[in-house]
Amino acid sequence: MPSRTAAIVGIGQTAYAKALPATAWELAMEAVLAACADAGVDVAEVDGMCRFTAPFEPVSEAMLVRGLGIPELSFFAQAPHGGEALGAVVMQAAAAVSADLASTVVVYRALSQSRGGRFGRADGRGPGGAGGADPGADVVVPEQDNLSFAWPYGLMSPGQLFALWARRYAAVHGLRDEDLTRALGTIAITQRQYANRNPNAMMRDRKLDWDDYRGARMISEPLRLFDLCLENDGACAFVVTTADRARALREDPVWVLSATQTVSPYREPMGIYTGGELLELFPSAAAERLFEQAGVSRADVDVAEFYDATSYMPLRSLESYGFVPDGQAWRYVTEQGTGPDSPLPVNTHGGHLSEAYLHGMNGILEAVRQLRGTAANQVPDADVALVGAPAGSATILAR
Amino acid sequence: MAVVPGMTDLTAPYWDAAREGRLVVQECRSCRQVWHPPLPRCPHCHAADPGWRPVSGEGAVYTYTVVRHATHYAFAGQIPYVLAIVELAEGPRLVTALVGVGVGVEPGEPDGPGEVRVGLPVRVVFREVADGVTLPYFEPVAGRAPKDGGPPATP
Repeated sequence: MPSRTAAIVGIGQTAYAKALPATAWELAMEAVLAACADAGVDVAEVDGMCRFTAPFEPVSEAMLVRGLGIPELSFFAQAPHGGEALGAVVMQAAAAVSADLASTVVVYRALSQSRGGRFGRADGRGPGGAGGADPGADVVVPEQDNLSFAWPYGLMSPGQLFALWARRYAAVHGLRDEDLTRALGTIAITQRQYANRNPNAMMRDRKLDWDDYRGARMISEPLRLFDLCLENDGACAFVVTTADRARALREDPVWVLSATQTVSPYREPMGIYTGGELLELFPSAAAERLFEQAGVSRADVDVAEFYDATSYMPLRSLESYGFVPDGQAWRYVTEQGTGPDSPLPVNTHGGHLSEAYLHGMNGILEAVRQLRGTAANQVPDADVALVGAPAGSATILAR
Repeated sequence: MAVVPGMTDLTAPYWDAAREGRLVVQECRSCRQVWHPPLPRCPHCHAADPGWRPVSGEGAVYTYTVVRHATHYAFAGQIPYVLAIVELAEGPRLVTALVGVGVGVEPGEPDGPGEVRVGLPVRVVFREVADGVTLPYFEPVAGRAPKDGGPPATP
C-alpha cells in the first residue's frame, strides 16, 4: 500500500466507564456518528467498514448499516485476534480507499464489558464462552487454536500469558525482581500521570504512586494489579478516506504512512506460544516492513502509542519495534522513562492501563490528536506517530 | 469441576496416552522431527499422517507465573497455582502447571525447597482432573509430595 494514499479525517468516541447504560450497539453508533461529524461527512456517505472480530464483538457492520440508515457498503472487512486487529483494520481501510473499493471507510470498536465477557472476572463469561449455566459442571474447551492445551491448566487470560513472557524476559536478560518492578512500575505510573491530565481518562482523578504500585496485590507474578489494563464500556471510531477527499475535507488530515498485520508459527495472539523464542513479540520482518513502507526512521517517530494489555507490552514494544536494543528496554525505561520529557513519549493518553481498554483504538485516536496538535498531553511539534499492537500489527501515521 | 480439553481425532492420542500415564508428542514418520501441539502434517517436510512417540517426561522450566487471581471459577479454589511452559529434553515445549513447588505466602517468598525458577529441572507427573481426563503436570526432579491433597500422582 503506497504511503499517503489514505488519511484519517475524523475521530469519534463515547465516554469510557466501568459501566455505561448504553449497549455496545448504541455505543458503536455514537462513536461512528461522532467520527463522521468530526470528518465533516454525512454518515450516509459511508461506503466501507472495518471492524474487530472476537473476543467481545457483538456489533456487526450489518447492525450499523441498519441502525444508521447507511444505503450500502461496497467494502467491509473483519480482523481477528483481539488487539492484533489494530494494524489490520487500518491496513484494510487504507487499502480499500487506495484501491477504489470504497471512498469513506469507518473503522470502529465497541465494548460493553459490564454486560458481557471480561478476562479478569472468574465468572466463566470470558472469551470463548468457557463456562455454562451450571457452575458445577466441567467446562470442555473447544479444540481451537490449541486452547485445549492451555485452558485446562488455568492459562486463560492475556495477563497470565504476558506474565509468562515477562518472567522469561527477566530470566534471559538477568534482571532481578526489583529491576523488573522498577521498569514495569515506571510505565504504569507514567501512564497514570498522563491519564491524570486527560479529561477522557477513566483514571483521571486517581493518583498512583510507588507505594500504591508496590503495595497492590499480585495478579499473576510478576504482574501486579496496576500492571494490568482496565476493563470497561466504550467505543471508538475513525474515518479513512482517499488523499483527494482528505485534502478537500480538512486542512489537517492524518496520513497513513504504513500499516501491517502479521501471523507466524506459534505467534497466534492469545495462542500458547510454545515454539521459537518467547521474547519475540513478532517477526522482526514486520517492523522492518512497517518502517520501510512508511519511509521514516525510528528517530523520526515523535510519539508512540503501544498496545498495553499489561505494562510489559510497552516495555518490550520499545525493543521489538526497534527503538531500543533487545534486552535494554528495562534499563532505558528506568533511566529515561516514557514521560513527556523522555526521548519517546509512550501512551500519552494513559493507555489501556489508565485511559480505557478499547483494543488499541483509543491509541489511534490519541495519535490523531497528537498529530493535529490537540492532545491533552501534547508532544510539541509531533509529526510522526507509531501505534502498535504486540504481534506486529501496527501503523505509522503522520501529519 | 474442572476445565477439560476438548478432543478431536488429531489430539485424542495425546490425551489417551496421558490417561495411561504416558507423555507422547508427534513425530514425522519421514524426517523424524518432533513437535507439539499436534498438527495434521509434518511442518518441516510436509509428510502426511504423523506418528506419535513417547518422550522421557524430563525437561526444564522455560518460564512460569504464580497465578494469584482466578480468571475462571474453576480455578478459584486452586489459587495460588503455578502456570509454566516446560521445555522437554526432546525439544518441544508444552503449557502445563507445576506441582510440588513452593510458591510462598507472599510474592517471591519461598515456602519450601522446591522454589520455582526458570531452568528448574522437572519431570512429568499425571493427575486425573475429571472422570476419564488426565493431564500431564510437572514437578521438580528433586521434588516432594504435593501437600494440597489433590488427585494422586500416577507412578
